[in-house]
Amino acid sequence: MLRRLRILIVALSVSLSGSPQAFAQTPDSRDSSEYLIKAGFIYNFAKFVEWPSAAFAQPDSPIVIGILGTDPFGALIDQIVENKKIGARSFVVKRLKWGTDFKELRDCKILFVGSSEKAHIDELLQIVKTLPILTVGETPGFAERGGVIRFVLEDNRVRFEVNVEAAHQADLTISSRLLTLARIIQQATAADTRKPG
Amino acid sequence: MLLNREHKTGPVIKAGRSFLAGFLSVLLAGSAVAQNSRNVDVTAVSLEDLWNMQVTSVSKRSQKVADAAAAIFVLTQEDIRRSGATSIPEALRLVPGLEVARIDQNKWAIGSRGFNGRFDNKLLVLIDGRSVYTPLFSGVYWNVQDVMLEDVDRIEVIRGPGATLWGANAVDGVINVITKKAKATQSAIVTAGAGTEERAAGGVRFGSKLGDNTYYRAYTKYFDWGPSAYPSGITAHDGWDALRGGFRADWTPAGANSLTVQGDIYRSRFDETLTVASLSAPYSNTFPNDGKYSGGNILGRWNHTSEGSSMSLQMYYDNTTITDHSLFGDHQNILDLDFQHGFHVGDSQQFVWGLGYRSIRDKNDASFTVSLQPNQVTLNQFSTFLQDEISLVDNRLQITLGSKFERNEFTGFEIEPNARLLWNLTPNQSIWTAVSRAVRTPALTEEGLRLNSQVIPPGTPANPTPLPAVVAVFGSRQFNSQFNSEDLLAYELGYRVQATKNLSLDIATFYNNYSNLRTAEPGAPFPEGSPAPTDFVIPFVAGNKMSGGTYGVELFADWKVVPKWRLMGSYSYLQMDIHKNLDSQDPTPDNPNGSSPRHQWYLRSSVDLPKHFEQDTTLRFVDHLPSLGLPSYYSLDAHLGWRPVTSLELSIGGQNLLNNWHLEFMPDFVNTSPTVVKRSIFGSITVKF
Repeated sequence: MLRRLRILIVALSVSLSGSPQAFAQTPDSRDSSEYLIKAGFIYNFAKFVEWPSAAFAQPDSPIVIGILGTDPFGALIDQIVENKKIGARSFVVKRLKWGTDFKELRDCKILFVGSSEKAHIDELLQIVKTLPILTVGETPGFAERGGVIRFVLEDNRVRFEVNVEAAHQADLTISSRLLTLARIIQQATAADTRKPG
Repeated sequence: MLLNREHKTGPVIKAGRSFLAGFLSVLLAGSAVAQNSRNVDVTAVSLEDLWNMQVTSVSKRSQKVADAAAAIFVLTQEDIRRSGATSIPEALRLVPGLEVARIDQNKWAIGSRGFNGRFDNKLLVLIDGRSVYTPLFSGVYWNVQDVMLEDVDRIEVIRGPGATLWGANAVDGVINVITKKAKATQSAIVTAGAGTEERAAGGVRFGSKLGDNTYYRAYTKYFDWGPSAYPSGITAHDGWDALRGGFRADWTPAGANSLTVQGDIYRSRFDETLTVASLSAPYSNTFPNDGKYSGGNILGRWNHTSEGSSMSLQMYYDNTTITDHSLFGDHQNILDLDFQHGFHVGDSQQFVWGLGYRSIRDKNDASFTVSLQPNQVTLNQFSTFLQDEISLVDNRLQITLGSKFERNEFTGFEIEPNARLLWNLTPNQSIWTAVSRAVRTPALTEEGLRLNSQVIPPGTPANPTPLPAVVAVFGSRQFNSQFNSEDLLAYELGYRVQATKNLSLDIATFYNNYSNLRTAEPGAPFPEGSPAPTDFVIPFVAGNKMSGGTYGVELFADWKVVPKWRLMGSYSYLQMDIHKNLDSQDPTPDNPNGSSPRHQWYLRSSVDLPKHFEQDTTLRFVDHLPSLGLPSYYSLDAHLGWRPVTSLELSIGGQNLLNNWHLEFMPDFVNTSPTVVKRSIFGSITVKF
């Protein structure tokens, strides 16, 4: 009941602000931009992924979202997580540069790897492999190479791949609710790591 | 003239909160959405809902009709597919209030809020940001405009003026055909069809990617229409065929820049029956004629987005050659450059400005019937616009102020300001109002045309002289008079309500006050020919001596009866009180008043049936056109689609099922024989790989 109500509210709020006909035609697909949806997913990842308790200094330590390289979100992601809390934890968004911000990089709980970082993805993933960092990328082969989650656009919708083994190595527990929506990716063997896609 | 040409209507439609957001890039518009509590809060949505959200273009999101301080309607890909329409003009019949009439198989008269005609000059049409409005007669060659319909993302139609953003000629409406991004057309499609009127049609589209960030598609399509019939029942001479191909490539790295390059080439051959005047007996000849057109265009668009601002630069080149044998030939080369920059000012204002340059080279081939002076001309047009959108009262009130400033070679500077106001009364209803000025700048024909429309034989009561008398329409140039821009001052008021989750209603009303409308003023007859005169010319010269008001209302209701059944209804009313000024000597009646239907309505049912069948039925009514002597008509169109698997669609559609035929319109200026719209059936198969 609650869920139905919530969907109704969402639907209404969308439809009211939205085109009546566009809404009526596509009641199941709400208009939104790619990165708005991706930012929404990142927020949800924080909800549906469990970090080891040792990963945080304090019970109310914030969840640091790092954006490495070119930032496709802009102010969007800051606005989305502003004043939001998961349990006692609030959010902090940091923009990071490869080569200079290694310390900050290690402190992230969620690390979004921009597609500008293609050249050093392997190196990056090697560095963070055993750290409790949820790596999120978009470049082809990101999950196969050891990234935890990769966004994929399919049929105008945002989908994601999860490398369960990489999550396990990072000591992250991913909720089954998230996993049922994901496409599970096997870690590539050393031989085909180089093969993109 | 927006930042993303492909998203060009964004600002126009979303005249409210995000009049700008539409072209302020994904980032900006995204943040505008996120900031907006009435919009989707992605953190409040369940994971599964997020999973189902559709990623759409910026303007799609900004095209929240409820937030638009303009009369906007959006035809989606789904609407087009389910209507069974096989061309852009036919698809436009589903737009509330729009006047769509076929003159013969390859000619249409399409208008908005009155003044309909084959050479309607008050409607601006764009395809992916490229204006297809011809400076020749300030109208649209509808038979030249086509795209792979499967690749259309949507067609956005704004009734009413859009001149502040779109410039001169967006007087009574703007139609935007927007194709999908290459990324959204990555599959291959093969489609083939055949029918009673459209005898054969086929198309192939292929999409793929180059590297990680570059997607492209290419298409080719062909169709062949057989001849229709004259009202007498005799088979007409108005068949046509067309072949076209094109591509689009989008380079979208994750960074701040993106680039789109697209282009088309096409050629077509069309038939018509033409009546032209001649200087010798019988002074008028009717004969089967044919024509052809060909052309191509290439467009490049660069977008740069940084936090808080967005820029775009667009350039295109368009070449069109139209040859109507025995009548006229026209070769046009258009180069168009457009720059735009939008940014936030504080929390409550969005500002956008732009610069535009357009160079038109026109060269024409004359006949006895039609000639244009000079026969070769280059026109340069410059424009700039600025617009500010201010949100007040917790975003419930949006004020948009802006103006376009244009310079053309005929009338000099033109200023086209508008002020729009949107008030969100409650979360589910809004009211909007706008005052705008728009101008329709002179066309080449109004400057330099000579059209010999009729020859009065010598020795008749109307012409007792021994020489034939040529009744000819002239542009102003040859009579050293000045043809000015036509002016519109438009007042609009609209209301939208989402009454329930399943029922929405959109009402737009308008009062348009026109002045300086075109008339044909008689001049002093003169003899011509050398050394001895061969004929007399009775000239009618383009003047600006007509004015008046039009008002009307356009309704659209959308009711999702049950999830699989949707009913849509539209009604529009138009009253035109256009009259010639007292000093006008134009002998023709106040024609515009009776060439657009006063009442139009349609009812449309869209049903999803079991086993992947879908059925659509539309009943349309179009009122009589007294000045053309045409009766009202009903048309019943039905379409059945079956998609047993996602990769296959079988489709069969019937148009005008109630009657054997009806006549929809009459030609103006160029005397081609009108033909009827017959009952027709068209079936097709589409396979996706």
